[in-house]
Amino acid sequence: MKFFFPDSQDLVDPSFDFETERRAELRVRQRDDLYAHEVFRSRAYDGLLVSKGIVDGYGQVGSRYTIGQKHRLLRNGVKEFLRIDKVPYPLEVMGDCGAFTYVKEKVPPYTADEVINFYSDCRFDYGLSVDHVILSYQPDWDLKGAKPPDEVKDRQALTLSLAEEFWTRCKARKEGFIPIGVAQGWSPKSYAHAVKELQAMGYSYIALGGMVPLKTAEVLASLEKIAEVRKPKTRLHLLGVTRLDHMNAFATLGVASIDGTSPLRQAFKDASDNYYTLSRTYSAIRIPQVEGNAKLQKKISSGVIRQETARKLEKAALSAMAAFNNGKLDIDAAVEALTEYEELCAESTPKEKKASAAKSRQSRADVYREVLSDQPWKKCGCEVCRSIGHHVILFRGAERNRRRGFHNVWVFYRKLRSELGLRLEDAA
Amino acid sequence: MAKTRELRLPALQVKQGPKRMLYVFSVDGKLVHRFSTISRVRRDEEGELRGYQRPEVLSHIDEIKRFIEGPSPMIPNAVVLAFNSSVHFDPAGSEFHPEGYSRPGTLRIPFEEDMLDEDKPAFVVDGQQRLAAVRDSSLDSFPLSVVAFITDDVSEQTDQFILVNSTKPLAKGLVYELLPNTESRLPSSLLKKRFPSQLLNILNAKRHSPFRGLIQTPTNPSGIIKDNSILRMLENSLNEGVLYRFRSDDGAGGAIDPMVTILCAYWGAVSDVFPEAWAKPPKKSRLMHGAGILSMGLLMDTIADRYRNRIHLKRELFAQDLTPLKEVCRWTDGFWDLGPGQKLKWNEIENTPSDIKQLSAYLLDKYKELVWDANHPSERRARGG
Repeated sequence: MKFFFPDSQDLVDPSFDFETERRAELRVRQRDDLYAHEVFRSRAYDGLLVSKGIVDGYGQVGSRYTIGQKHRLLRNGVKEFLRIDKVPYPLEVMGDCGAFTYVKEKVPPYTADEVINFYSDCRFDYGLSVDHVILSYQPDWDLKGAKPPDEVKDRQALTLSLAEEFWTRCKARKEGFIPIGVAQGWSPKSYAHAVKELQAMGYSYIALGGMVPLKTAEVLASLEKIAEVRKPKTRLHLLGVTRLDHMNAFATLGVASIDGTSPLRQAFKDASDNYYTLSRTYSAIRIPQVEGNAKLQKKISSGVIRQETARKLEKAALSAMAAFNNGKLDIDAAVEALTEYEELCAESTPKEKKASAAKSRQSRADVYREVLSDQPWKKCGCEVCRSIGHHVILFRGAERNRRRGFHNVWVFYRKLRSELGLRLEDAA
Repeated sequence: MAKTRELRLPALQVKQGPKRMLYVFSVDGKLVHRFSTISRVRRDEEGELRGYQRPEVLSHIDEIKRFIEGPSPMIPNAVVLAFNSSVHFDPAGSEFHPEGYSRPGTLRIPFEEDMLDEDKPAFVVDGQQRLAAVRDSSLDSFPLSVVAFITDDVSEQTDQFILVNSTKPLAKGLVYELLPNTESRLPSSLLKKRFPSQLLNILNAKRHSPFRGLIQTPTNPSGIIKDNSILRMLENSLNEGVLYRFRSDDGAGGAIDPMVTILCAYWGAVSDVFPEAWAKPPKKSRLMHGAGILSMGLLMDTIADRYRNRIHLKRELFAQDLTPLKEVCRWTDGFWDLGPGQKLKWNEIENTPSDIKQLSAYLLDKYKELVWDANHPSERRARGG
């Protein structure tokens, strides 16, 4: 099973200095920065997924690309732009429309030809047909006499007719990429119906959309229903589903590839599971930047908290972590420094909610004590952990958080391979 | 209680009016925090406003820090302090020098080690970021010049604080025009503009440049193309396009001659292909407008990439690739046919991100269709949409 990593211009700046927190002054974004496949010497994914929605931006969702970057992508192709042509092992690139960017519209804003032009200009290996996400999952609508709402049925019909147009146009234009048909549904039966239709059009690679919010059991139920109609050579792709617990079952039911950003995003979005290891997850240690924290900054500029105090506690927390990492400070002292700063960041007014503050302080301290006594970053062999050490566990600023995200992607890939009983060297 | 110490500094007393005295002296910037404090703005328990200073700005402090840790730093402008009446001046003689309005003497500043902020004899009225940079710097010491006055009145300090912080910043255009003549370490945001500004100056002055005299700058007010449009076009290409190939590894500069040669060849070709739209004010020609300059700049990078294996990109070659676009461009009159239901009058194109995006996408699409794909029959693809 292949893992595709969705790109949204997630890069790290190699010139960033973790001690002074400065970067090279004349660094050019993206060109001087590094993608995960440039950071790690061994694989962290089998390919990347790039969305038209991310490149162009749509409506309120702004583009992740500057206009200059976008045109360079279209001129030179996605492999040169992402610099995957310089990686010593092959990586594939999948293109899609980014249907979530326009989920609120009545119909998708792109024509089949526009999307094919995008895939063709960027020279993708795979291109997904234009789809429209169905956000309701109701297996009850499979029951006899149940009537799924028209809007849901329209979205599926539209997705299927766009897939048909996509297939016909791709064949007529003799494009170089492999077309993937997207199936949208609201229940096991409706997904199976979509897959059947797509196979009839000619597709042998089919992506299942709209499954991100589904429970694993629901994904399995749909895959089982699909298995009843799936031709032996039809491969399935699960869009945005990165659950490791049932990957073997997924694979037996025809899933050939998956994609998802949650290993990256959990590094800085999740409340507690921020750092992956092969056996468990850990919480990152929060030392927010005084200047990067809007809440704290407001209290400082209004004079509620003294800036000097905030800076002093922030610095103390950072040096406590450095000293702890070098074995020059014990756990209790380190936890004390961390919670003292965290309390300052958290409190609404100096006097407010003393009792609850003490309580949350205790639970935070327990969480930190656990990660500090295990020191998982010292046991990890990935390039990020080896080069930046304890900084990887600090929840602080994009440079640290994104590197931790890269580490998670690297670990995720290893877990996925071992879950499937595959060796790392094996071709996917 | 800690022992009271006294800092004695040679100083000049300056008589600025019958009742107004200033004190001019120098002191190690690392020492200033021991006897002075920042009066931060806040509300007290009764809701009354106290103090006047805003918080320190870390990024600004870091810029100054980088500068003073550099090879040959100089901070000529003085920090302004307000002393309370515990500070005294002992004149060396009784007479003020009639021409200098000043007399030398000794300033006596009482202070204690680790005294509380509210007990310190001085407030920082101006220069808190400079002082913070010296305080945080890796240097052992850095002397600063100080101008001080003595008052126990906070409103007088507030007046001065507002006065020194209400100056009008320099016009951006003038700063950019001055940049190429600087050599020292500048703040990062300006450092990034220095090289593009240098290219702009050459394009505006060089004898055979198609832009000669056309770029509007503070010293060339008769120019018609806004300096900012050219700067953005150059920055785009330095980051994403053909000029990047000649950029130096550190990004501070690059091979100027080949850059200027390409720029002159391409924009010369633009003036050849669109003579009726060239060198006219933006009100009469959208080619000279920000949107025109930027989207045609992106086209330069595209054409250069099409011929990326060639060493010399000649004016004729650019002109040959631009000519087929003549029929779809509406720089001076008519309507841009940007797609179904997307007709835009020639002068409705504005210098906004969305118009630049739309116009450049259109031009590049047409270029692909009419030139790139059309001239490679073997690779021709049917293009719909």
